Amino acid sequence: MATDSLSSAVIVQLKATADAPILKQNKFKIHGTDKFAKVIDFVCRQVHRETVFVYINSAFSPNPDELVIDLFNNFGVDGKLLVNYACSVAWG
Amino acid sequence: MMEAQKYVWEGAIPLQIHLHESEITSLPPPSPALILAPRIGYLPLLLPLIKPYFSSTLPPGQDTLWFDYKGLPLKWYIPTGVLFDLLCAEPERPWNLTVHFRGYPSNLLIPCEGEESVKWSFINSLKEADYIINGNCKNVMNMSQSDQVELWRSIMDGNLDKYMRSSSKLKLGTVTTAEADMVGQVKAGKIPVRLYVWSVNEDFEDMEDAPEVDNWDQISYINRPLEIHKEGKYFTLHDALKNLLPEFFAGKPLINDKPCIEESEDFQKVSSEDVGSSTGAEEGKEIVSQPMESCCNDAEIKLIRIQGIEPKLEIPFSWVVNNLKNPEHFLHICVCVKIPNVNAA
Repeated sequence: MATDSLSSAVIVQLKATADAPILKQNKFKIHGTDKFAKVIDFVCRQVHRETVFVYINSAFSPNPDELVIDLFNNFGVDGKLLVNYACSVAWG
Repeated sequence: MMEAQKYVWEGAIPLQIHLHESEITSLPPPSPALILAPRIGYLPLLLPLIKPYFSSTLPPGQDTLWFDYKGLPLKWYIPTGVLFDLLCAEPERPWNLTVHFRGYPSNLLIPCEGEESVKWSFINSLKEADYIINGNCKNVMNMSQSDQVELWRSIMDGNLDKYMRSSSKLKLGTVTTAEADMVGQVKAGKIPVRLYVWSVNEDFEDMEDAPEVDNWDQISYINRPLEIHKEGKYFTLHDALKNLLPEFFAGKPLINDKPCIEESEDFQKVSSEDVGSSTGAEEGKEIVSQPMESCCNDAEIKLIRIQGIEPKLEIPFSWVVNNLKNPEHFLHICVCVKIPNVNAA
């Protein structure tokens, strides 16, 4: 687990929560070596907002410096990393 | 067990904090602030202690607090003790830091709006730990508002007794070894661990000759929980580290059977719908494991530090976790590893 797929892609599935706009295209690939900050920026651009609140598995908001591959290895479900996004704090 | 936890909570780093010269508008310049910073705390929380030293000399404008050590901006969400253990190979007392109230380096540091940001980061780390241990974070989510406030206050005040009262309601449990295993103890058997792996290319004998960290790309920030199997064998810190960082334990074969070639094929297949531009190259190259997999036998662990100590590797891992973990239930481990320079890039 520790050494595999460090340089391969992770599938991220975005899910709108509360008041957030729903995206037509909600599944994306991102390099495992990228930081979660990239996902956050991507969501901001897709929903045209300055700030968004993002969560993993409707549970917690990871640090933007965390690696996508670590998040996927630790919290991925069915081969995907499930990211919920909202425009205001959903789970405080 | 309580004794060791008390030492951790009472542990503090003596700081000598200098205001950055660009922000000094008075003569004579202010003296540095001498602050005792709790190990388990976070630098931005020191603002009320630091500000009085410098408020009269700051240029006009809004405060956006940040710190640097020898030019390296410090990541505020990393506990103060971990920053010290990681960046000062040879502990420097007092630790000389530079404080800035202007010019926040947003390209290098994630934003911090004071105590609220630190609290958000802490509570989410706690939820993350809960999720790792229990598979969900109901324990933290179900905390009453007043319990959450008390928990946070206990961190701000460095009050272990207050912390024990509010965190015991969390039922995040303690780790047990197979010998002491009781029915109903930690079910999932997963321990939240954060690893900070500092890779160096040069050799050095003493810590004081170690090179300096001048870039966060030299440090891998890794979130890797450890699964403890209840097999009845004595599980040491060394066993845990071999499990967490197999690529650095010399002589140990790689876990997976896949040759390196297969992995690079997977990487090339991914071309469409990539999020953002490919900046794999700029991320710490020590994270991309291919060069390291081929030279894992030459990697040399120079240092393993947890809460400022270099524990004997034979110590039972359960003891290490129960006594040396941080209040958000993560065990932070600093590792310095020397790897030969395989890649020219």
